[in-house]
Amino acid sequence: MWTREVDGLRLTFHLAGINNQNFLMRDEETGSYWQQITGRAVSGPLKGRQLTLVPSDELNFATWKSEQPQGAVLKDVPQYASEYERKDWDVQMKRVPVVINFPEHGMKARNLMLGIRAFGAGRAFPYDKVLKEKLVKDHVGAEPVLLVVGDDNQSVRVFRDRIPGVDGAPDFYRLSPPKPVALLMDASSGSEWNFQGCAVTGTAKGICLERVQALKDYWFDWRNYNPQTTIWGKN
Amino acid sequence: MMPSPLQRIRRRSVLVVLVCALVSLACVIYPIYVIRPFRAQGANELAAALVVARFRSVLTMFSGLAALVSLLGWYWPAEPRKLRRLFASLATAFVCLLAFLGRVNVYELMFHPLGRPSFLAAQQAKIDPDDKIIAVSIDGEAHAYPIRTMGYHHIVNDVVGNRAIVATY
Repeated sequence: MWTREVDGLRLTFHLAGINNQNFLMRDEETGSYWQQITGRAVSGPLKGRQLTLVPSDELNFATWKSEQPQGAVLKDVPQYASEYERKDWDVQMKRVPVVINFPEHGMKARNLMLGIRAFGAGRAFPYDKVLKEKLVKDHVGAEPVLLVVGDDNQSVRVFRDRIPGVDGAPDFYRLSPPKPVALLMDASSGSEWNFQGCAVTGTAKGICLERVQALKDYWFDWRNYNPQTTIWGKN
Repeated sequence: MMPSPLQRIRRRSVLVVLVCALVSLACVIYPIYVIRPFRAQGANELAAALVVARFRSVLTMFSGLAALVSLLGWYWPAEPRKLRRLFASLATAFVCLLAFLGRVNVYELMFHPLGRPSFLAAQQAKIDPDDKIIAVSIDGEAHAYPIRTMGYHHIVNDVVGNRAIVATY
Protein backbone atom coordinates (compact mmCIF):
# COMPACT_ATOMS: atom_id res chain seq x y z
CA MET A 1 0.00 0.00 0.00
CA TRP A 2 1.37 3.38 -1.05
CA THR A 3 0.74 7.08 -0.76
CA ARG A 4 -0.37 8.42 -4.13
CA GLU A 5 0.96 11.92 -3.99
CA VAL A 6 4.19 13.05 -5.64
CA ASP A 7 5.33 16.69 -5.32
CA GLY A 8 1.80 17.68 -4.32
CA LEU A 9 0.27 15.97 -7.36
CA ARG A 10 -2.41 13.43 -6.46
CA LEU A 11 -2.20 10.39 -8.72
CA THR A 12 -5.00 8.06 -9.83
CA PHE A 13 -3.83 4.57 -10.68
CA HIS A 14 -5.06 2.08 -13.23
CA LEU A 15 -3.96 -1.50 -13.76
CA ALA A 16 -2.08 -1.19 -17.03
CA GLY A 17 0.18 -4.19 -17.52
CA ILE A 18 2.15 -6.98 -16.02
CA ASN A 19 5.84 -7.54 -15.37
CA ASN A 20 6.71 -11.12 -14.51
CA GLN A 21 3.30 -11.53 -12.87
CA ASN A 22 3.58 -8.44 -10.71
CA PHE A 23 1.26 -5.80 -12.07
CA LEU A 24 2.10 -2.41 -13.49
CA MET A 25 0.04 0.64 -12.66
CA ARG A 26 -0.38 3.72 -14.84
CA ASP A 27 -1.20 7.06 -13.31
CA GLU A 28 -3.66 9.03 -15.40
CA GLU A 29 -2.13 12.39 -14.44
CA THR A 30 1.33 11.89 -16.00
CA GLY A 31 1.01 8.55 -17.82
CA SER A 32 3.95 7.11 -15.87
CA TYR A 33 4.08 3.37 -15.22
CA TRP A 34 4.67 2.06 -11.68
CA GLN A 35 5.63 -1.38 -10.36
CA GLN A 36 3.14 -2.60 -7.78
CA ILE A 37 5.54 -4.41 -5.45
CA THR A 38 8.19 -1.66 -5.31
CA GLY A 39 6.03 1.46 -5.64
CA ARG A 40 8.63 2.83 -8.04
CA ALA A 41 7.96 4.49 -11.40
CA VAL A 42 9.63 2.44 -14.14
CA SER A 43 8.70 4.53 -17.19
CA GLY A 44 7.38 7.98 -18.00
CA PRO A 45 7.85 11.52 -16.68
CA LEU A 46 8.03 10.31 -13.05
CA LYS A 47 10.49 7.46 -13.81
CA GLY A 48 12.68 6.74 -10.78
CA ARG A 49 10.29 8.32 -8.28
CA GLN A 50 9.33 6.24 -5.27
CA LEU A 51 5.92 6.20 -3.58
CA THR A 52 6.00 6.16 0.22
CA LEU A 53 5.02 2.89 1.86
CA VAL A 54 1.88 3.01 3.99
CA PRO A 55 1.97 0.40 6.78
CA SER A 56 -0.84 -2.12 6.40
CA ASP A 57 -1.90 -5.46 7.80
CA GLU A 58 -3.45 -8.54 6.32
CA LEU A 59 -5.89 -9.65 8.99
CA ASN A 60 -8.85 -11.87 9.58
CA PHE A 61 -12.03 -9.71 9.44
CA ALA A 62 -13.16 -10.61 12.99
CA THR A 63 -9.77 -9.64 14.41
CA TRP A 64 -9.79 -6.31 12.60
CA LYS A 65 -13.39 -5.56 13.63
CA SER A 66 -12.59 -6.19 17.30
CA GLU A 67 -9.67 -3.74 17.06
CA GLN A 68 -11.46 -1.16 14.90
CA PRO A 69 -15.17 -1.29 15.80
CA GLN A 70 -15.64 2.17 14.22
CA GLY A 71 -13.73 1.21 11.07
CA ALA A 72 -15.04 1.32 7.50
CA VAL A 73 -15.11 -1.60 5.07
CA LEU A 74 -14.85 -1.30 1.30
CA LYS A 75 -18.27 -1.88 -0.23
CA ASP A 76 -18.86 -4.31 -3.08
CA VAL A 77 -19.52 -2.71 -6.45
CA PRO A 78 -22.81 -4.41 -7.43
CA GLN A 79 -22.07 -4.67 -11.15
CA TYR A 80 -18.88 -6.67 -10.48
CA ALA A 81 -19.77 -8.46 -7.23
CA SER A 82 -20.74 -11.71 -8.97
CA GLU A 83 -17.17 -11.96 -10.29
CA TYR A 84 -15.43 -11.40 -6.96
CA GLU A 85 -12.86 -13.94 -5.90
CA ARG A 86 -13.06 -16.69 -3.33
CA LYS A 87 -11.85 -15.98 0.16
CA ASP A 88 -8.77 -18.18 -0.32
CA TRP A 89 -7.75 -16.35 -3.52
CA ASP A 90 -4.03 -16.49 -2.70
CA VAL A 91 -4.26 -20.28 -2.29
CA GLN A 92 -6.30 -20.67 -5.51
CA MET A 93 -3.67 -18.66 -7.36
CA LYS A 94 -1.05 -21.28 -6.47
CA ARG A 95 -2.32 -23.30 -9.43
CA VAL A 96 -1.53 -20.52 -11.89
CA PRO A 97 1.71 -21.21 -13.80
CA VAL A 98 4.69 -18.94 -13.26
CA VAL A 99 7.10 -17.46 -15.79
CA ILE A 100 10.11 -17.01 -13.52
CA ASN A 101 11.34 -19.29 -10.78
CA PHE A 102 14.11 -19.44 -8.19
CA PRO A 103 14.18 -23.06 -7.06
CA GLU A 104 16.92 -22.52 -4.45
CA HIS A 105 16.70 -24.11 -0.99
CA GLY A 106 13.91 -26.38 -2.26
CA MET A 107 11.51 -23.45 -2.54
CA LYS A 108 8.51 -23.76 -4.84
CA ALA A 109 7.60 -20.73 -6.95
CA ARG A 110 4.22 -20.17 -5.34
CA ASN A 111 5.10 -20.91 -1.74
CA LEU A 112 3.46 -18.15 0.29
CA MET A 113 6.01 -16.13 2.22
CA LEU A 114 6.00 -13.28 4.65
CA GLY A 115 8.70 -11.03 3.30
CA ILE A 116 10.41 -8.42 5.42
CA ARG A 117 12.69 -5.80 4.00
CA ALA A 118 14.11 -3.79 6.88
CA PHE A 119 17.30 -2.99 8.77
CA GLY A 120 19.35 -3.22 5.58
CA ALA A 121 18.35 -6.81 4.83
CA GLY A 122 15.63 -8.98 3.34
CA ARG A 123 14.26 -12.12 4.93
CA ALA A 124 11.40 -14.41 3.93
CA PHE A 125 9.35 -16.55 6.30
CA PRO A 126 7.31 -19.47 4.93
CA TYR A 127 3.78 -18.40 5.86
CA ASP A 128 2.42 -21.85 6.77
CA LYS A 129 5.42 -22.52 9.01
CA VAL A 130 4.89 -19.23 10.84
CA LEU A 131 1.22 -20.11 11.42
CA LYS A 132 2.30 -23.46 12.91
CA GLU A 133 4.94 -21.89 15.17
CA LYS A 134 2.59 -19.11 16.35
CA LEU A 135 5.52 -17.13 17.76
CA VAL A 136 8.77 -16.76 15.82
CA LYS A 137 11.85 -15.08 17.24
CA ASP A 138 14.37 -14.35 14.56
CA HIS A 139 16.58 -11.65 13.07
CA VAL A 140 16.32 -9.45 10.00
CA GLY A 141 19.85 -8.24 9.40
CA ALA A 142 21.19 -7.78 12.92
CA GLU A 143 17.83 -6.73 14.35
CA PRO A 144 15.83 -9.17 16.50
CA VAL A 145 12.23 -9.47 15.34
CA LEU A 146 9.12 -11.16 16.64
CA LEU A 147 6.47 -12.70 14.38
CA VAL A 148 3.21 -13.12 16.26
CA VAL A 149 0.20 -15.12 15.08
CA GLY A 150 -3.15 -13.79 16.32
CA ASP A 151 -5.77 -15.73 18.22
CA ASP A 152 -7.56 -16.32 14.93
CA ASN A 153 -4.59 -18.48 13.81
CA GLN A 154 -4.55 -16.59 10.49
CA SER A 155 -3.31 -13.06 11.09
CA VAL A 156 0.38 -12.34 11.56
CA ARG A 157 2.09 -9.19 12.82
CA VAL A 158 5.79 -8.45 13.04
CA PHE A 159 7.48 -6.35 15.72
CA ARG A 160 11.00 -5.39 16.75
CA ASP A 161 11.89 -7.75 19.58
CA ARG A 162 12.86 -5.02 22.03
CA ILE A 163 10.81 -2.89 24.37
CA PRO A 164 11.24 0.82 23.60
CA GLY A 165 12.96 2.56 26.49
CA VAL A 166 13.87 -0.68 28.25
CA ASP A 167 17.35 -2.19 28.13
CA GLY A 168 17.94 -5.88 27.57
CA ALA A 169 16.18 -8.60 25.62
CA PRO A 170 12.48 -8.95 26.55
CA ASP A 171 12.13 -12.76 26.06
CA PHE A 172 8.51 -13.00 24.92
CA TYR A 173 6.44 -16.17 25.18
CA ARG A 174 2.84 -17.00 24.36
CA LEU A 175 0.24 -17.16 27.10
CA SER A 176 -1.38 -20.56 27.14
CA PRO A 177 -4.30 -20.29 26.95
CA PRO A 178 -4.34 -16.70 25.65
CA LYS A 179 -6.42 -14.15 27.57
CA PRO A 180 -9.12 -12.10 25.82
CA VAL A 181 -6.93 -9.00 26.07
CA ALA A 182 -3.42 -10.46 25.88
CA LEU A 183 -1.60 -13.25 24.08
CA LEU A 184 2.04 -12.64 25.00
CA MET A 185 4.04 -12.12 28.15
CA ASP A 186 7.63 -10.98 28.41
CA ALA A 187 9.78 -12.67 31.02
CA SER A 188 11.89 -9.60 31.71
CA SER A 189 9.10 -7.26 32.89
CA GLY A 190 6.28 -9.74 33.47
CA SER A 191 3.99 -7.56 31.34
CA GLU A 192 1.20 -8.94 29.17
CA TRP A 193 0.93 -7.82 25.55
CA ASN A 194 -1.90 -7.81 23.03
CA PHE A 195 -1.85 -8.58 19.31
CA GLN A 196 -1.34 -4.90 18.52
CA GLY A 197 1.99 -5.15 20.31
CA CYS A 198 0.99 -3.03 23.28
CA ALA A 199 1.50 -3.94 26.94
CA VAL A 200 -1.83 -4.11 28.76
CA THR A 201 -0.53 -5.08 32.22
CA GLY A 202 2.72 -4.93 34.21
CA THR A 203 5.48 -2.35 34.40
CA ALA A 204 5.52 -1.91 30.60
CA LYS A 205 1.78 -1.10 30.48
CA GLY A 206 1.05 1.52 27.83
CA ILE A 207 4.25 0.83 25.86
CA CYS A 208 3.85 -0.50 22.32
CA LEU A 209 6.43 -2.46 20.37
CA GLU A 210 7.67 -0.98 17.11
CA ARG A 211 5.90 -2.50 14.11
CA VAL A 212 7.84 -3.99 11.21
CA GLN A 213 6.14 -4.05 7.80
CA ALA A 214 5.77 -7.51 6.24
CA LEU A 215 4.45 -8.42 2.81
CA LYS A 216 2.63 -11.66 2.08
CA ASP A 217 3.87 -12.70 -1.33
CA TYR A 218 4.72 -15.71 -3.46
CA TRP A 219 8.33 -16.84 -3.27
CA PHE A 220 9.12 -16.16 -6.94
CA ASP A 221 7.89 -12.57 -6.71
CA TRP A 222 9.56 -11.82 -3.38
CA ARG A 223 12.85 -13.33 -4.53
CA ASN A 224 12.72 -11.49 -7.88
CA TYR A 225 12.67 -8.11 -6.14
CA ASN A 226 14.82 -9.13 -3.16
CA PRO A 227 17.69 -11.10 -4.69
CA GLN A 228 19.72 -10.95 -1.45
CA THR A 229 16.91 -12.36 0.67
CA THR A 230 17.57 -15.10 3.18
CA ILE A 231 14.95 -17.60 4.28
CA TRP A 232 13.99 -18.39 7.84
CA GLY A 233 14.77 -22.02 8.60
CA LYS A 234 17.10 -22.33 5.57
CA ASN A 235 19.92 -19.80 5.82
CA MET B 1 11.46 3.83 -69.44
CA MET B 2 11.15 6.66 -66.99
CA PRO B 3 8.04 6.52 -64.78
CA SER B 4 5.50 9.21 -65.54
CA PRO B 5 4.92 11.99 -62.98
CA LEU B 6 1.59 10.37 -62.07
CA GLN B 7 3.29 7.00 -61.53
CA ARG B 8 5.84 8.64 -59.28
CA ILE B 9 3.09 10.26 -57.21
CA ARG B 10 1.26 6.93 -56.91
CA ARG B 11 4.42 5.10 -55.85
CA ARG B 12 5.27 7.76 -53.28
CA SER B 13 1.76 7.61 -51.95
CA VAL B 14 1.74 3.81 -51.67
CA LEU B 15 5.11 3.95 -49.90
CA VAL B 16 3.80 6.45 -47.35
CA VAL B 17 0.73 4.31 -46.59
CA LEU B 18 2.91 1.18 -46.26
CA VAL B 19 5.37 2.86 -43.88
CA CYS B 20 2.47 4.25 -41.84
CA ALA B 21 0.89 0.80 -41.65
CA LEU B 22 4.16 -0.78 -40.48
CA VAL B 23 4.83 1.93 -37.87
CA SER B 24 1.28 1.73 -36.49
CA LEU B 25 1.29 -2.06 -36.50
CA ALA B 26 4.56 -2.11 -34.55
CA CYS B 27 3.21 0.47 -32.06
CA VAL B 28 0.11 -1.62 -31.40
CA ILE B 29 1.63 -5.11 -31.44
CA TYR B 30 4.99 -4.69 -29.69
CA PRO B 31 3.67 -3.70 -26.21
CA ILE B 32 0.98 -6.41 -26.39
CA TYR B 33 3.59 -8.97 -27.40
CA VAL B 34 6.03 -8.06 -24.60
CA ILE B 35 3.60 -7.26 -21.79
CA ARG B 36 1.40 -10.32 -22.10
CA PRO B 37 0.58 -12.69 -19.24
CA PHE B 38 2.43 -15.98 -18.88
CA ARG B 39 5.53 -14.64 -20.57
CA ALA B 40 8.72 -13.62 -18.76
CA GLN B 41 9.52 -9.94 -19.32
CA GLY B 42 13.16 -8.91 -19.73
CA ALA B 43 14.13 -5.52 -18.29
CA ASN B 44 15.18 -3.93 -21.59
CA GLU B 45 12.29 -5.15 -23.70
CA LEU B 46 9.84 -4.09 -20.98
CA ALA B 47 11.37 -0.60 -20.88
CA ALA B 48 11.12 -0.36 -24.68
CA ALA B 49 7.53 -1.67 -24.69
CA LEU B 50 6.48 0.88 -22.07
CA VAL B 51 7.99 3.74 -24.06
CA VAL B 52 6.07 2.54 -27.12
CA ALA B 53 2.92 2.16 -25.00
CA ARG B 54 3.25 5.74 -23.77
CA PHE B 55 3.63 7.24 -27.23
CA ARG B 56 1.57 4.84 -29.35
CA SER B 57 -1.64 6.88 -29.27
CA VAL B 58 0.15 9.95 -30.67
CA LEU B 59 2.29 7.95 -33.13
CA THR B 60 -0.60 5.93 -34.53
CA MET B 61 -2.76 9.05 -34.81
CA PHE B 62 -0.12 10.91 -36.85
CA SER B 63 0.46 7.78 -38.87
CA GLY B 64 -3.28 7.54 -39.63
CA LEU B 65 -3.41 11.21 -40.61
CA ALA B 66 -0.36 10.85 -42.88
CA ALA B 67 -1.94 7.85 -44.59
CA LEU B 68 -5.19 9.75 -45.10
CA VAL B 69 -3.44 12.80 -46.54
CA SER B 70 -1.39 10.57 -48.81
CA LEU B 71 -4.48 8.73 -50.05
CA LEU B 72 -6.73 11.72 -50.61
CA GLY B 73 -4.12 14.31 -51.58
CA TRP B 74 -1.82 12.24 -53.80
CA TYR B 75 -3.09 8.81 -54.70
CA TRP B 76 -6.74 9.53 -55.46
CA PRO B 77 -6.12 12.33 -58.02
CA ALA B 78 -3.28 10.32 -59.62
CA GLU B 79 -5.08 6.97 -59.90
CA PRO B 80 -8.31 6.72 -61.86
CA ARG B 81 -8.58 2.89 -61.66
CA LYS B 82 -11.36 2.00 -59.22
CA LEU B 83 -10.00 -1.32 -57.96
CA ARG B 84 -6.66 0.23 -57.06
CA ARG B 85 -8.40 3.09 -55.37
CA LEU B 86 -10.35 0.55 -53.33
CA PHE B 87 -7.19 -1.30 -52.22
CA ALA B 88 -5.47 1.97 -51.29
CA SER B 89 -8.54 3.03 -49.32
CA LEU B 90 -8.66 -0.28 -47.47
CA ALA B 91 -4.98 0.02 -46.56
CA THR B 92 -5.57 3.55 -45.26
CA ALA B 93 -8.63 2.43 -43.30
CA PHE B 94 -6.44 -0.24 -41.69
CA VAL B 95 -3.93 2.43 -40.59
CA CYS B 96 -6.84 4.48 -39.15
CA LEU B 97 -8.12 1.39 -37.32
CA LEU B 98 -4.65 0.98 -35.79
CA ALA B 99 -4.84 4.61 -34.64
CA PHE B 100 -7.99 3.66 -32.74
CA LEU B 101 -6.40 0.48 -31.30
CA GLY B 102 -3.37 2.55 -30.27
CA ARG B 103 -5.57 4.32 -27.75
CA VAL B 104 -6.66 1.07 -26.10
CA ASN B 105 -4.79 -0.66 -23.28
CA VAL B 106 -6.16 -4.19 -23.05
CA TYR B 107 -5.35 -4.39 -19.33
CA GLU B 108 -7.24 -1.18 -18.62
CA LEU B 109 -10.23 -2.62 -20.47
CA MET B 110 -10.12 -5.89 -18.57
CA PHE B 111 -9.48 -4.67 -15.03
CA HIS B 112 -11.65 -2.33 -13.00
CA PRO B 113 -9.68 -0.50 -10.32
CA LEU B 114 -11.70 1.70 -7.99
CA GLY B 115 -11.38 5.47 -8.23
CA ARG B 116 -14.15 6.51 -5.86
CA PRO B 117 -14.59 3.65 -3.41
CA SER B 118 -17.64 3.46 -1.14
CA PHE B 119 -17.50 2.17 2.41
CA LEU B 120 -19.83 0.89 5.06
CA ALA B 121 -19.47 0.62 8.81
CA ALA B 122 -17.63 -2.45 10.12
CA GLN B 123 -20.68 -3.41 12.16
CA GLN B 124 -22.88 -3.47 9.04
CA ALA B 125 -20.50 -5.36 6.74
CA LYS B 126 -21.69 -8.82 5.84
CA ILE B 127 -18.31 -10.50 5.72
CA ASP B 128 -17.40 -13.89 7.15
CA PRO B 129 -15.37 -13.59 10.36
CA ASP B 130 -12.54 -15.61 8.80
CA ASP B 131 -12.43 -13.60 5.56
CA LYS B 132 -9.12 -11.84 5.12
CA ILE B 133 -8.92 -8.10 4.74
CA ILE B 134 -6.10 -5.63 4.17
CA ALA B 135 -6.21 -3.03 6.90
CA VAL B 136 -4.85 0.48 7.08
CA SER B 137 -5.22 3.08 9.78
CA ILE B 138 -4.13 6.71 9.45
CA ASP B 139 -4.80 9.42 12.02
CA GLY B 140 -7.50 7.36 13.71
CA GLU B 141 -9.37 6.49 10.48
CA ALA B 142 -9.38 2.77 9.72
CA HIS B 143 -10.23 1.19 6.35
CA ALA B 144 -10.46 -2.50 5.52
CA TYR B 145 -10.31 -3.91 2.00
CA PRO B 146 -11.65 -7.48 1.73
CA ILE B 147 -9.32 -9.81 -0.17
CA ARG B 148 -12.26 -11.21 -2.19
CA THR B 149 -12.89 -7.71 -3.52
CA MET B 150 -9.22 -6.81 -3.92
CA GLY B 151 -8.53 -10.02 -5.84
CA TYR B 152 -10.88 -8.61 -8.48
CA HIS B 153 -10.30 -4.83 -8.46
CA HIS B 154 -6.59 -5.09 -7.43
CA ILE B 155 -6.29 -1.30 -7.04
CA VAL B 156 -8.28 1.08 -4.84
CA ASN B 157 -7.52 4.80 -5.04
CA ASP B 158 -8.57 5.94 -1.60
CA VAL B 159 -8.21 8.74 0.95
CA VAL B 160 -7.69 7.73 4.58
CA GLY B 161 -7.20 10.31 7.34
CA ASN B 162 -6.76 13.03 4.69
CA ARG B 163 -3.96 11.07 3.07
CA ALA B 164 -4.34 9.91 -0.51
CA ILE B 165 -3.27 6.28 -0.71
CA VAL B 166 -3.49 3.42 -3.15
CA ALA B 167 -4.34 -0.02 -1.82
CA THR B 168 -3.01 -2.76 -4.07
CA TYR B 169 -3.37 -6.51 -4.05
